[in-house]
Amino acid sequence: MKKAMLVMCAALGVTLSFSSCSKDPLKDMTEEESRIYVTNYDDSVNFSSYRTFSIVDSVAVATNTNERRALTDYDKQLIQDVTRSLEARGYTRVDRAAKPDLAVNLTRIDNTYSAVYYNPGYWSGIGGYYDPFYWGFPGYGYYWPSYYQVYQQERAVSIDMVDLKNPRNNQLVAVWNAMLRGSGVWNVSNVNSMVSAVFEQSAYLKATNN
Amino acid sequence: MKSIKLWILLVAASLGVHSAFSQVRSPLSINADYSVAQPFGSLKDYANKTSFRGWRAGIQYQLNDQLAIGIRSGFQEFYERVPRAVYADKGTDISAVQTRTLQVTPILATVQYQLTKPDAAVIPYVGLGIGTANMVYNKYYGQFTDRYNSWQFAASPEIGINIPFGKGSPVLFNASVQYSYSPYKQQEITSYNVLQGNVGLRVHIN
Repeated sequence: MKKAMLVMCAALGVTLSFSSCSKDPLKDMTEEESRIYVTNYDDSVNFSSYRTFSIVDSVAVATNTNERRALTDYDKQLIQDVTRSLEARGYTRVDRAAKPDLAVNLTRIDNTYSAVYYNPGYWSGIGGYYDPFYWGFPGYGYYWPSYYQVYQQERAVSIDMVDLKNPRNNQLVAVWNAMLRGSGVWNVSNVNSMVSAVFEQSAYLKATNN
Repeated sequence: MKSIKLWILLVAASLGVHSAFSQVRSPLSINADYSVAQPFGSLKDYANKTSFRGWRAGIQYQLNDQLAIGIRSGFQEFYERVPRAVYADKGTDISAVQTRTLQVTPILATVQYQLTKPDAAVIPYVGLGIGTANMVYNKYYGQFTDRYNSWQFAASPEIGINIPFGKGSPVLFNASVQYSYSPYKQQEITSYNVLQGNVGLRVHIN
């Protein structure tokens, strides 16, 4: 029986060493492969009912502890690429004083060091990176239809488009949102490909129905 | 730990029914096999690659010359990486490289019937395993995963051969083909259907 126990122990050892042989999908993944581009949209909205947009002149940087605005090379590139993409879809960029139909907010989110559930709803009415005064809607927050799910545990970039034309009950509705998540989303050389990806998958985003 | 207790109980119970039979080799044996598995049906749609990451091991007690009972566990991993594509849902589109994995760890009670006497040069057998399987489903979108862990009923009929290394040798070569089924439902998987080939050794120890 002693021999049997020995063999059983050996078998158990083999079992344990084998069970660690599973493949780790994250190990052989490039930065490009690690990234996901998520777009959310309000499917009750006809995006060709908008004509004009205005975009923030700097990018909000949100961390768990504070928010600030920045205009690094990355931020300039992001503003430029989003602007060009919207113009290519037939929207006209106007000054924010010219009553644009859509407001575009850009936010870099950094939750690298402490993970939290990130509820975009908490942007509502918070000055700093969403400044209702900036858009000429003092006292208005903007809210998200409930199907928007965002969970953050890392660096991310959010592009939000808010309907300024049709406020509902003293609130503005975010009608479109793009989240860039994964490795390298804060790297300036990736901005072009990330922005084209989110517009490519949002074919409905155009100023005319043609 | 639970499964080891079960093994010991099973062995103890089977000692009670230990009847006299022509003893070519000792009744208690352990076995270990390398396994290659081919998914079918909806599992193939989820991860279509043949899995070369698998093994199984068990312990078996010979009740008489031809009938044996035992317990068996193992591991099999299915894996496929899908190039970047856009996945659409209501109001949401996700562009991602998907990595789909399913890790399966069965724990089965087994019964095996040998079609020849134990002193034959080649011992064909049929077997059936019934029990449970731990299913760990991970669908990665880029580096983010959608993970589900559950236990399911599992059944696994099998045919195979044992070839002793010499007459009466306690060490036998094993080769078998088994079909594994589980009514496992997760996302796009509507049931678990796998054809699995096993090659390994059986050693009679006591």
